[in-house]
Amino acid sequence: MTDDSDSPMTDTENTTTGPLAPEDITADSAFTLPGFFDALSEGRLLAARCTECDTHMLPPRPACYGCGSRAVTLSEQPRTGEVISYTSVNRPPSAFEHLAPITVAVVELDSSARLTGRVAAPLDDVSIGDRVELRVRDPETVDIDPDFDLSYEEEWPIHVFELM
Amino acid sequence: MSTAHLIAVGSSPLGKTDLPGRDLFSKALAEAFEDLPDPADVVDALYVGAQSERYENQIMQGTLMAEWAGLRNVPAERVEACAAAGALALKNAVRDVRAGVHDAVLACGVEKMTAGGTEGATNALGAAFERALEQRSGITAPATYALLARRYLHETDATERDLGRIAVKNHGNAAANPRAMFQQAVDIETVMDAPEVAPPLKLYDCAPVTDGAAAIVVANDEVAADLQGRPDTIRVAGVGSAANNLAVAERDLTFVEGANVAASTAYEDAGVGAADIDVAEVHDAFTVCEALLAEAAEFAPKGRGIETVEVPGDRSAGWTDVQINTSGGLKARGHPIGATGLLQAVEAYEQLTGRAGERQVADADTALLINEGGVADAHTVATVLTAQ
Repeated sequence: MTDDSDSPMTDTENTTTGPLAPEDITADSAFTLPGFFDALSEGRLLAARCTECDTHMLPPRPACYGCGSRAVTLSEQPRTGEVISYTSVNRPPSAFEHLAPITVAVVELDSSARLTGRVAAPLDDVSIGDRVELRVRDPETVDIDPDFDLSYEEEWPIHVFELM
Repeated sequence: MSTAHLIAVGSSPLGKTDLPGRDLFSKALAEAFEDLPDPADVVDALYVGAQSERYENQIMQGTLMAEWAGLRNVPAERVEACAAAGALALKNAVRDVRAGVHDAVLACGVEKMTAGGTEGATNALGAAFERALEQRSGITAPATYALLARRYLHETDATERDLGRIAVKNHGNAAANPRAMFQQAVDIETVMDAPEVAPPLKLYDCAPVTDGAAAIVVANDEVAADLQGRPDTIRVAGVGSAANNLAVAERDLTFVEGANVAASTAYEDAGVGAADIDVAEVHDAFTVCEALLAEAAEFAPKGRGIETVEVPGDRSAGWTDVQINTSGGLKARGHPIGATGLLQAVEAYEQLTGRAGERQVADADTALLINEGGVADAHTVATVLTAQ
């Protein structure tokens, strides 16, 4: 139904359109958060790609905010991109207090998908346009207060950007 | 369709107070009903804007506020869209009155933000951001707006000092507003020397944590005429709202499109254009928002929103003559989240009825309110109000 041959990205084995039937929406599907984070744990960053207007969405979702279409498909994303904007969280939420100051950025991946994440660098080392690479960290190594996690989030990895 | 009028307004003291939320509401209600019969004899329903139950561990705010107003067995609902909750309460009240569902409705908002200290407010506000990727990266409200500000400074000629001048302007306005939390002017050096919260935003770029409540009576023609027979009511001419994406990363950082849609919808509903607006209260939760919203409301050319601080004659071509945030804005009047949208309407009421004292804008007869929730235009409600 969907032709991904013109996609610059490597699509996953799931090249069908997004979940239109209730039975498609399971925790195994990367169109749900458990499925998305399971794939991320295994090293695959999956976005939803709209087959109508090519908007890329992280995390994946069943409909495109760009044009309203539900003809979306999963698309594995490049790990590299550039800093669109950045700042430092000097007074973070209490679960992140000991990590302060936290450098965060909005990054546009080379696919055009955009997401916010921490940057593993001091604020002064970061500029708009910097090239960064996404890394996936085991939640236990990140040192966020475990009380922050909801029960279903405990195993979910945390992403962070490194300057290239 | 009936016309909706704002016939009475009230607000509590704003700031860190010794009163819990329900008592702040009582203060606002008492002012609004000073010259009116009991609320139960006037209004048929209630909407209350409240951001979070984390502050006072209390949901069911609709029921509670109705009870404290002496209303029983009437529709009474809490509405939530983070900081846009107040305008959402007003919007729902206006919709009901216009549709003839109710003759008069109480729109109110309340927030007891200081209950858990700064940390409690940071954590409560954090719930407004996208959870899976953004909250789990440790962001806060100042940080998300700093992402907008950094990009704005990158794409335009604006400087950090230009943003600081917006805070100076709003503190100056609040100095003439007896309702304001900070009734004192500040100078630009104080603003520039203040600690960084989330660079490029510094302390004075950020609206304060505020306790407060507001209450407004919205009524149809008949109730407005019966109760008052007085000229000091104003008319709701247009309403618009829009929800943009929740994640800040997925939005245009320098064009708040949802706010533009909401304002355009409100203008169209009212049959006015941006140039007709004399006074505007826009959601300056952070200084950069006032610049972005001046552009989204089509008061200012793209990239020139920072000229909000200039008197109309000194602004670039393409700017209207609007006066923005005469109340002092969220920055200096105060920002009790769920009440803010209604406090904006209180200022419009005072400006359009000639009650604004030293900060009165001459011949003001049309006002625009823009109230936002989430980061910037994750949710926007825009309202056009006119003098009768």
